Amino acid sequence: MKAVLDARQLTHGPEARRRVDTLDLQLKVGDRLGLLGVNGAGKSTLLQLLAGVLAPHAGEVRVMGHALSADNAGVRRHIGFMPQRVPLYGDLTVHENLAWAGRLRRLSGQPLRQAIDAALQRVQLGGLSQRLAGQLSAGMVQRLGLAQALIHAPPVLILDEPTAGLDPLQTENIRDLLKDLPADTSVILATHLLDDVQQLCDRVILLDAGRKVAEHAVTGQTDLLAHFRKPDTGVAAR
Amino acid sequence: MIVQVTLHEWRRQHAGLTFWLLLAFTQLIVAWLSFAQLEAFAEIAPQLRAGAATIGATDLVIMPTFNSLLLLLLLTSPLLAMGSLAGEVHSGRMALWLAAPVSSAQIVIGKVLGLWLAILPLVLSASLTLAALGLGVELDTARFGLGVAAMLTVALWLACITVFVSGLFDHPAAALATSYGVLLFLWLLDSLSGPSAPWHGWALLPHVEPMLLGLLRSQDLLYFISTGGAAVLLGIFLVDRRRGAI
Repeated sequence: MKAVLDARQLTHGPEARRRVDTLDLQLKVGDRLGLLGVNGAGKSTLLQLLAGVLAPHAGEVRVMGHALSADNAGVRRHIGFMPQRVPLYGDLTVHENLAWAGRLRRLSGQPLRQAIDAALQRVQLGGLSQRLAGQLSAGMVQRLGLAQALIHAPPVLILDEPTAGLDPLQTENIRDLLKDLPADTSVILATHLLDDVQQLCDRVILLDAGRKVAEHAVTGQTDLLAHFRKPDTGVAAR
Repeated sequence: MIVQVTLHEWRRQHAGLTFWLLLAFTQLIVAWLSFAQLEAFAEIAPQLRAGAATIGATDLVIMPTFNSLLLLLLLTSPLLAMGSLAGEVHSGRMALWLAAPVSSAQIVIGKVLGLWLAILPLVLSASLTLAALGLGVELDTARFGLGVAAMLTVALWLACITVFVSGLFDHPAAALATSYGVLLFLWLLDSLSGPSAPWHGWALLPHVEPMLLGLLRSQDLLYFISTGGAAVLLGIFLVDRRRGAI
């Protein structure tokens, strides 16, 4: 099956201290890929490279067969990105924040209104659309971030620690939302939580110092903690 | 896309309290100054008429108030601009911009125009206050119009400079302090040296005052276009640098 996202020899950062180092990564339609690694392993930098926030110093990212750097308008609309810190305007309402996220993705008029309604419904924020984003709880903020990333129905969704800082109920809520994503949406998810990977991903990549040290399929029996401690043991890399 | 970014920046400014406080403050100061100037003018008007003087309300009320408005714009625009790029970085929203199908040029030009739209009510409300004086005294409409055009030009130039400075920093407070430093320097530059000094051409006031005197000179327009344009180009460079593209 053709890769919807294909990163080759991706490198970022100065030579002495690479944040991402000659990393290859492929994502096919419907894949759910987890990125695990300790703090500073390069997860967020990698996701920013894949989302086009950062430009790689070497290598390239291709989305739906097109280079990410070469065609901003055409390629970037295939990607939905939710950074670790949800990018919202606290003095604008939930609806206004979503409207802006949609306009940034070149939606307007009736399609934008429909996309906002659909996104609000998907993340269960419909009743709060007129509330100022600055007044939302942590869980609602994450849901708004997810709605921003989903507003243009992208085939590739990139999520940076979507459950970070949430209480168990809120975490479960976000996980349920992610489980309900359309089957043909490909997801890359960086997280510290092994449970996130176990419940949401069918594949996991372990990162250390910007390098991919292992790639495993995730099944119910996969002992992620063992792989995390010693990445070169256990299930064969795919 | 520039229009979308412009309107977003304009909406963002209007959603905040700072804009409304600055608008009220500016309007209050301009009203107070213009009526103080008018009062002084009313006292000497009979003498001016008796002496067949060529100066009138435009010289003694309108232009001094425009001069004061210039200072108010120098004080207020950094407050409105400080968050335009630095605020996006500080709050983590820059990722949303950089991941979207928007070029760095569209971001910077949109931010500049949006900020200009946000400053416009300050200029227009002050100009309307001054225009209202025309109901009671005779105004030189051509000079008044050129004065308004000068303020609009300066407002756009200020938007270019302050958005660029905002792009230099990750924190709005640093952008605010630096903007004040840069603008104060350009404002005082001509008074720190004589007209023959090589850097005199960089000073702001020698390029605004001729317009307030009714002179539209190409060198003044060139000053605003070149320095404002350079600021926009540098702002685009700074956003590109954030992507790691440069």
